[in-house]
Amino acid sequence: MGGNKNYTNLTVNPCKMCMPLGAVTAFYGIEGCMSIIHGSQGCSTYIRRHMATHYNEPIDIASSSLTEQGTVYGGEQNLIAGIKNLVRQYSPKVVGVATTCLAETIGEDVPRILQKLKYDPDCADLELVSVASPGYGGTQFEGFLAATLAVVKQFADDKTPNSDVNIVATYMSPAEMRYIKDLFDAFGLTYILVPDISDNLDNVYNPVYSKLPQRGTKILDIHRMAGARFTVEIGLFSGEYSAARYLNKEFGVPFESVPLPVGLRATDRLIKLLSRLSGRPVPEHLKRQRGRYLDAMVDAHKYCGEARAVIYGEPETVYAVTNLCCECGVFPAVVACGSKCKELNGLLGDDISKISAVRLESRYDIIDEADFDKIAQLIKDRGLNLMIGNSDGRRVAEKLPQVTLVRTGFPVHDRVGGQRQLHVGYEGSLRLMDEIANAMLNRRETTYRKELFDKYYNGGVKPIQTAAPSALTPEKVKEKTKTHPCYDCSACGSARIHLPVAPACNIQCNYCSRKFDCANESRPGVTSGVLSPEEAVKKYLEVKKKVPNLSVVGIAGPGDALANFEKTKETLLKIRAVDPDVTFCLSTNGLMLPFYAASLVEIGVSHVTVTVNAADEATGAKIYRFVNYFGKQLKGEEAARTLLNNQLSGIRFLSAKGVAIKVNIVLLKGINDGQIDRIVKTVKDCGAMITNIMQLIPVKGCPFETLELPSNKELNLVRKNCGEILPQMYHCRQCRADAIGTLDNDISIDFRGSENGEQKDGERMTDEEQVLRFAVASKSGMIVDSHFGHAKEFYIYECSKNEVRFVEKRAVSKYCGGPECDDDQEDKIDGIIEKLGDCDGIICMRIGVMPGRILQDKGIAVFSIYDRVEDSVRKAAQLLAEMPERNIVKTDS
Amino acid sequence: MKQLETTGLLDERQKFICLSGDKAGLKCESDSVAGAISQRACVYCGARVVLNPITDAYHIIHGPIGCASYTWDLRGSLTSGVETYRNAFSTDLQEKDVIFGGGKKLTGAIDEIVLKFHPKLIFVYATCIVGVIGDDVESICKAAEKKYGIIVIPVKSPGFSGNKSTGYRLACDALLELMSCARPAEKSIGINILGDFNLSGEMWIISEYLKKIGVNIVSRITGDSTCDEIMKAPTAALNIVQCAGSMGYLANRMEEIYGIPFIKVSFFGIEDTTNSLLRIAYALHDGKAVEKAKNFTDKKSKETASLLEPYKRLLHDRKAAIYVGGGYKAISLIRQFRELGIRSVMVGTQTGKKDEYEVIRELADPGTVVLDDANPAELEKFMRQTGADILVGGVKERPLAYKLAVAFCDHNHERKQPLAGYDGAVNFAKEINMTINSPVWKLLKEEAAV
Repeated sequence: MGGNKNYTNLTVNPCKMCMPLGAVTAFYGIEGCMSIIHGSQGCSTYIRRHMATHYNEPIDIASSSLTEQGTVYGGEQNLIAGIKNLVRQYSPKVVGVATTCLAETIGEDVPRILQKLKYDPDCADLELVSVASPGYGGTQFEGFLAATLAVVKQFADDKTPNSDVNIVATYMSPAEMRYIKDLFDAFGLTYILVPDISDNLDNVYNPVYSKLPQRGTKILDIHRMAGARFTVEIGLFSGEYSAARYLNKEFGVPFESVPLPVGLRATDRLIKLLSRLSGRPVPEHLKRQRGRYLDAMVDAHKYCGEARAVIYGEPETVYAVTNLCCECGVFPAVVACGSKCKELNGLLGDDISKISAVRLESRYDIIDEADFDKIAQLIKDRGLNLMIGNSDGRRVAEKLPQVTLVRTGFPVHDRVGGQRQLHVGYEGSLRLMDEIANAMLNRRETTYRKELFDKYYNGGVKPIQTAAPSALTPEKVKEKTKTHPCYDCSACGSARIHLPVAPACNIQCNYCSRKFDCANESRPGVTSGVLSPEEAVKKYLEVKKKVPNLSVVGIAGPGDALANFEKTKETLLKIRAVDPDVTFCLSTNGLMLPFYAASLVEIGVSHVTVTVNAADEATGAKIYRFVNYFGKQLKGEEAARTLLNNQLSGIRFLSAKGVAIKVNIVLLKGINDGQIDRIVKTVKDCGAMITNIMQLIPVKGCPFETLELPSNKELNLVRKNCGEILPQMYHCRQCRADAIGTLDNDISIDFRGSENGEQKDGERMTDEEQVLRFAVASKSGMIVDSHFGHAKEFYIYECSKNEVRFVEKRAVSKYCGGPECDDDQEDKIDGIIEKLGDCDGIICMRIGVMPGRILQDKGIAVFSIYDRVEDSVRKAAQLLAEMPERNIVKTDS
Repeated sequence: MKQLETTGLLDERQKFICLSGDKAGLKCESDSVAGAISQRACVYCGARVVLNPITDAYHIIHGPIGCASYTWDLRGSLTSGVETYRNAFSTDLQEKDVIFGGGKKLTGAIDEIVLKFHPKLIFVYATCIVGVIGDDVESICKAAEKKYGIIVIPVKSPGFSGNKSTGYRLACDALLELMSCARPAEKSIGINILGDFNLSGEMWIISEYLKKIGVNIVSRITGDSTCDEIMKAPTAALNIVQCAGSMGYLANRMEEIYGIPFIKVSFFGIEDTTNSLLRIAYALHDGKAVEKAKNFTDKKSKETASLLEPYKRLLHDRKAAIYVGGGYKAISLIRQFRELGIRSVMVGTQTGKKDEYEVIRELADPGTVVLDDANPAELEKFMRQTGADILVGGVKERPLAYKLAVAFCDHNHERKQPLAGYDGAVNFAKEINMTINSPVWKLLKEEAAV
């Protein structure tokens, strides 16, 4: 399965680092050792930066700083000078030399160069060790192993048998190495751990800073590794770099390789080995740790069970973490190794396929040489929600909100504590598992409300299209304005439809009365019916078929579009789903505008009309009887003030977003006629593009019914004056809330009822077949669960042709009042029979002998069945059809 | 006939437990035995869980702080509107208030809420202490109603005044009071949904099904509902009752007061969902809806059954223990498990009724342990005895199941996966499978074998 990359020749966002980084990390585990990277300057600097942010320790690594000259003529001079300077500054006991691609490619013979230095007085008492670590030779993982092997090869030579156990460690964090050492201590084993970075890369505070790493494996001890009694190699993927194998081959030290102790079984394996080596039982505290981990695994199993993870990084970590995942129920959908590693498939395939089988997962992938581009692709393709690996995955996690990153391995440089990360042993495994479970909990907790809403509310809210159709640009709005009859008088050939989905209004204007069912009156607020969003869409499609010049969908009440925002929104979104281009327009009194303006923009409403009748609150107070605002009824100036403020701030917001704003003003003689120009100026300042000064239509029963009407001449004069401030609309027809057609030709009456499809005519269900009727004694209504005698109500069902229909529920007075009851039972059963006399059968859980007989005598069959209501009716009907005589039938055991 | 093995049980508790085949049945609908560690909650809890999902209501818990703290945003009821209901308001009574009375504090609390939030509707819960010190909650609420022209409904729910079911009834009374605040309006052709609390969007799922079969919804009680929506309820043509334990009473009362007939329904499992949808359509005598319901349920149940098939293979022959709040849910669960090929071996409830237990005893396989108001020791004993693989219960029971290496399914109000309807049936199977077949149990078994 390996190697299936997006590109054959291109690695996009690498999931690995280079070999010298691993090499110098291992050198940090040797006492008094400084390293120098033989190559150009950058290698050292990048590596230092990477390590410093992970370990939060000063990382001093020298470079031979190869220049062009050195590259052409050989870098020997630079390397020698570099080492000597290093000695001068740091007085190290050991210098580790890690080569780079450059050094290896130009063919530097580092061992020979170091040989020369052996006799150099400047380097007396200095141990020198080198490792070939070109960037193309492997990753940091191989670099770490290669350097460890180089150190062991160079120094291990004392074959005198000793009682120590060698520990050859793969890469672990300093805290993890400390944990391993504690384990050995717990079994009373003495050991030589190489390399031991536990202190040098996670140092304590010292009043006196020492720039030379003071701790780590002593060279003296490494000499003795050749005579150790056993080698425990932690890591299964050392391959050609296995120091344990080398010690075995050269010096006959027996060894066992165990996986990184992550997860229960891997930790068990190491601990069993230590118990065997020491001849001691497992100490109590480790047993408790183990038990606690087991307990925690159970507690977390359902959260872990939600995880579909990609695990990436070095083979050793990836293998170990995948094992942990398989144990605690995380589905490792993708196991991705940055370096080459063909063995993973064979090692992990079994466990992952087991968990896939119970999870009903059809596939998983184990890939090597992976990059983050490939990983991101797989996250999307397989619907993954978790990444487990180093910080470098954060860029993927940032871009893909569906995944959470749990950090482990190297580097973790966007968090503190990389050096203290502890994911080995029972305790470390528990920590890692907790982090995984918490990541899932956090995800669930923060997203489930929205996710469930999106998935189920109204059958799933389709995400608002972010594609071109709803993205409004000023050009687009301008374009749309050209075909909007209410904004551009030259667009009067275009038709619009008003969908009356918004019945409620949140303010009361003194000139308005909202009416329904009036087909002959035509003015705002009037409609012959209110539509549901579904009906509105139906109607739209119907009209669209017959009115090809339909360019605008408007919501104009009959109440206020924003007082019914959910309906308005749903309607528009549903229409957008079937028509990506139609212009959305909406009219409102503006009270709720500040709250919904952003949503309007999002939905793609390009034109909004706000009716503003007053420039100040004193005038407003005369026009608005009340304003209903968040459950409170405001009156007088407070009402007017709230309304005006909201109108203006809404207009400001929308116009800033490029929405075309028209302001309607009703000219009210003696009320606001003196301030029309002020209103126009004010709304212009807020960004309105056109105003529409309208005649008052007197409505019966309204306070302004008798208000004197301005003449057309007066009206046009006002319009003309205001035209100097802002363009005016002269062609308004003050149309209905369910108007359809062009402004001059309302054809809404032709479409009445078209939203309903065919008319409902209350058709009766007819059936020529024989219909059997049953009374079912049920309390729950779902199953036959009641004694005949205890039933207070019967569910009446009919059955014909195996089809069961619920008819109704009938209440009766209980036949049996309890053990002491014996009075009036005859009367009672008569009453019941009267109620149920039309039934062919009675179905109940149980029935007494007496009532059973009485019913039977009356020709009503009795069935004692215990089942779901529908099923038992079906069964009873069958039995009744088969039976010549009607009897008590016991069908249930 | 198998005999129930009862060693180690409290004597007083013996009669609350029986085997499904036992003739005598079991005792239930009684007060908890003191010291038995009942899993039941209190009156206030019952009232609160029913009313809480009304999204725009303000809930003032009048009493010391605990009652408000423990129930703050506890339920996974979802909203498509405001999130008011996710706040907890408390009068946080102190020692001084207990001595001199907390009435003033309550009046003040109402004033503050009105000033700050302009609510339409406030529920005021009287908790234990208030019941003892005797604040006149009712008149305080009345005064506030008058002063502010809003609705303030007292819910007198001291914990000691009964059990959780009492609380349900108090909540129903509060809902009736709310409905009575509405002006009489014309009847509509739609229905009310009673007893769904929109846990994890279940109300949305059911509403969508109803929409698909052309049935209008007038009012949802109380999941994702609003004050106004509930006030509309009296105009409905039919009530459908889902959680009969909490809402049966309301349905009965609405039938008496408003003449709205009701039918009981259940949306747990494929068959219940199908039957319920058909029944609703028939009950409305709407031929078109019946046609639509037939087509819809036919299509959906086939679809869902095929989705469940692979899970059935993985779950075949497993054993379930059920311990939930009401009998109705227990009955639903037994059948839903059966749909998956899982046998129920222990069934108990906190507040099941006599006839519900009778159904349970009939429905369950012979030898199933049936128990009322069980305590942890009993749950432990019988889960072990029956060898249950999974427990369905609330979060209090979860750790116990885990200690016994028994898988667990949360069928309580904190869950975050909908389990209702066809969608829920698949989620249910998925969840059961995920927990029952988790690799962790194998590790525990190995441990036990050592």
